[in-house]
Amino acid sequence: MDLDNNVREADRQIWEEEFAAAARRPLPVRLRYAFVRTYKPILDDAPYRSFEHMDDYRHWCETQLPSWLGYGRV
Amino acid sequence: MAAFEYRQAEELRAAFSRWSVRYLFLGKSGAILLGFPDTTQDVDIFPERSSENGRALVEALRALGFQLTEAQAEEIVRGKDFVQLKNGPFDLDLVFAPDGINTFAEAWSRHVEVEGFPVCHPDDIIASKLAANRAKDRETLPRLLAFRDYWARIQR
Repeated sequence: MDLDNNVREADRQIWEEEFAAAARRPLPVRLRYAFVRTYKPILDDAPYRSFEHMDDYRHWCETQLPSWLGYGRV
Repeated sequence: MAAFEYRQAEELRAAFSRWSVRYLFLGKSGAILLGFPDTTQDVDIFPERSSENGRALVEALRALGFQLTEAQAEEIVRGKDFVQLKNGPFDLDLVFAPDGINTFAEAWSRHVEVEGFPVCHPDDIIASKLAANRAKDRETLPRLLAFRDYWARIQR
């Protein structure tokens, strides 16, 4: 998979400016703006889940979660 | 439940240190600690899988306020591949067998320390997202790859 080649140079420059700006912020500030909270249906509806194998978890995500959450494999 | 805060990151670091838990931050939360400017909702931890580390992890999680039954604690001690906790002060995923990473020891050998937080190397974060191959990861990966290159440059 070569995702790098699909990036436009203009996008890359904008991203690099964002990376440089983030590097100037102290860690507590970076974390304050990085962690957000929105309700995710089904995923957030149980206090605890566990899966013996990662494949079991991936399968559960694909069969139980709304596809728009993006947890399904491509 | 509120979003994860820096204060909670400090508490996690202190509790895991007190109980000598061997772990790494992984996923987008790890990338954010490295400086990746993006958003996420939960914290991904890659603990070393051993019964000793699992017991230490359970103690640390309980000290942080996670409500674990004995059966749940036993699953963590055993190191099931994936444990998702939403029964504490913040959402936490324990990923004992992340896709795309062979062993904890390998990941630990190249990990990065960020103000006392042990974080997977960006290459391992990217490898796990490539291997998971989820739609939401595919959206993040081009920017994360560009960040990895930027991060490597400023380390020199």
